[in-house]
Amino acid sequence: MAETQSRKDHGVLYLGIDLGTSRTSVAASNGVRATVLSYVGYPKDVVSKKLLQKDVLFGEEALEKRLALRLYRPLAQGVIQGDGKDAENLKAAQDLIGEILRRAKPRADELVYAVIGAPAQASIQNKQAILEAARKSVDSVMLCSEPFSVAYGQDMLDDVLVIDIGAGTTDLCRMHGTMPEESDQITNTCAGDFVDEELAKEIKKVAPEAQFTKEMVKALKEKHSAVMERMEPVIVHLPVHGKPTAIDLTEGMRAACKRIIPPIVEGLTRLIATFDPEFQERLKNRVLLAGGGSQIKGLDVAIEAAMKERLGGGKVMRVEEPVYGGANGALKIAHDMPAEYWEKLK
Amino acid sequence: MPEFRTLHAGDAVHGLFSPSEVEELMRVEFARAERHKYPVVCMALGVDRLAQLADLYGYESKEEVLRAVVSVLRAETRDSDFLCLRQDDRLVALFPHTAPEFGAFLAKKLLAAIKKQRFERDGRQLRVTLSIGVAHNRHEKAISFETLVRVAEEGFAVADQGGGDRLVETELYQLFEKKRRQEELAKERKELFDGILAAIPRTPAPAAAAPGGDKLGETLLEILKSLGLSVSSFEDLDKDAIATAISRMADAKASAKAGEVDEAKRTIDMLERRIGKLTHALGVTEEELQRIAAMKNVELGEASIYRTVQGLSDDARDKERKREMMKDIFHANFELKKRLSGHADVPKGA
Repeated sequence: MAETQSRKDHGVLYLGIDLGTSRTSVAASNGVRATVLSYVGYPKDVVSKKLLQKDVLFGEEALEKRLALRLYRPLAQGVIQGDGKDAENLKAAQDLIGEILRRAKPRADELVYAVIGAPAQASIQNKQAILEAARKSVDSVMLCSEPFSVAYGQDMLDDVLVIDIGAGTTDLCRMHGTMPEESDQITNTCAGDFVDEELAKEIKKVAPEAQFTKEMVKALKEKHSAVMERMEPVIVHLPVHGKPTAIDLTEGMRAACKRIIPPIVEGLTRLIATFDPEFQERLKNRVLLAGGGSQIKGLDVAIEAAMKERLGGGKVMRVEEPVYGGANGALKIAHDMPAEYWEKLK
Repeated sequence: MPEFRTLHAGDAVHGLFSPSEVEELMRVEFARAERHKYPVVCMALGVDRLAQLADLYGYESKEEVLRAVVSVLRAETRDSDFLCLRQDDRLVALFPHTAPEFGAFLAKKLLAAIKKQRFERDGRQLRVTLSIGVAHNRHEKAISFETLVRVAEEGFAVADQGGGDRLVETELYQLFEKKRRQEELAKERKELFDGILAAIPRTPAPAAAAPGGDKLGETLLEILKSLGLSVSSFEDLDKDAIATAISRMADAKASAKAGEVDEAKRTIDMLERRIGKLTHALGVTEEELQRIAAMKNVELGEASIYRTVQGLSDDARDKERKREMMKDIFHANFELKKRLSGHADVPKGA
């Protein structure tokens, strides 16, 4: 970035980036919004490089051509794998951020300032690794807690409990009009990937000989996930000894998806019980469900039911845009951040 | 009820479903939302001063603006949302699985997105704004799709008359639900009378009429007797006599209901007058507040009742708090940066 800095004298492009284990999204102040699956692939050898005619592939394209690639999913549980000490993962993360930046279509003559959402309880090493990866592509960068950026994006800064269900982590964050502290945030790993693993176990129970991959399980979850007592039958076709066979996954899907509810309600209970008693009731009734995992059908109602049993009641609302909720909030923070702060972090 | 039925000439241009198709889809979605108890938000949207724009710069300018607005709305909403451009150049949108709070948030977002658009015509920059009326199905009286649309329309009218570039939620569900019921009853009554008239033959009915016909005849005779018309058999009547009797019966019923209808009309008039006054008063109040605020160099925030009531607050009240939050985020990141510059373990540019 330093080489081109002298020519960057025509304004600033602000970016809000949700760097997720499963997908990375960006919302930019020029109106561009883009999302890419968090996969990065490099050609395995000279032959595959010649065939693909690219040095690096991203997202669905990388997944599609994975047999000819060294495929990386640089993020695990919302942070860069290996805390940035694994050089290959760090490079993949850098390339991923570079790609998402390219998709935001910055002009050559404008500065790029980005706010990146990180899991609520990411370690210092995790955060440093993300910053290190981002520095190559942007002029100034800041990190903020993912659930905080979701709440900030919705302008819900008072007495709100945010549940941000990603692929790697589920973040819970208590907002009470100030920056959330460590005691206001809980992170657990019962998130999208956990549901995938549970679903794979359920498939094995129902059809022990069925053949499937992680990606197939993920696709099934994204299409059919639900926790309602009465839901449409989930009949899927998976190969058994090479022959596509119909499998009834209705119960298995429900059971796998439902397993993320107890840890969430456990976390909610901890955050509510340690809050000012006078405002606990209000907090219970302002629970905001966000992240890709919030798209599980009936999850809001199921959490409400579990809260009723555990806490005597509660009200859960879904964010309007699960995929872009974090990126939109991060963009808003980037906008609201005074210019001198950005300058100091260059 | 707004007219959805006529296919808009610009549908192919704007790439939307025909109004009648979308109306049907919206109805189905509303019914599904009622059955499965999930929230939907309905919005009536319109470009402010669109007619004047067409007068000044021509029909093509209007179409260009509408196309751009539709394209922005599509970009800012989900694929699963419904958007319909009506014959009067207004838009109606239905957002499934959207809580009322997010309806207002979304409307604000749309207002901001449209405001950012720039159009140029005859060398002049044109700025386009929207008026939006918002309604939702979480109100206990929002029990029909028609009521939902009417409340959104009413909100749009108030926003439009209030100067545009704003969203308004009127909460007049009870009023419009009552109006709808009355219209429905009137329609049912008319259909009943027309049905009876159509069922009666002009010539006397044959003795061996169908069982249904006999029953209808007996019922009519009873009605006629209760109205004081002396008739001994169905054959004595002709169609005109029965029509007269039915008309008298309708008059009697209408007069019985007159008191109730008059009261409903009075309530509607009163509410409409109140809305008009409020719209005017809110405009005056806001202007006055802004004038005083500018004079005394006071930051409007919670002090602006108008903005809070209308949901138009620009979050001034949160500014100080947000400044503090930004400071905290900056300090945390500054600390990280300091650590990073002294951190030898992290590989550089791996």
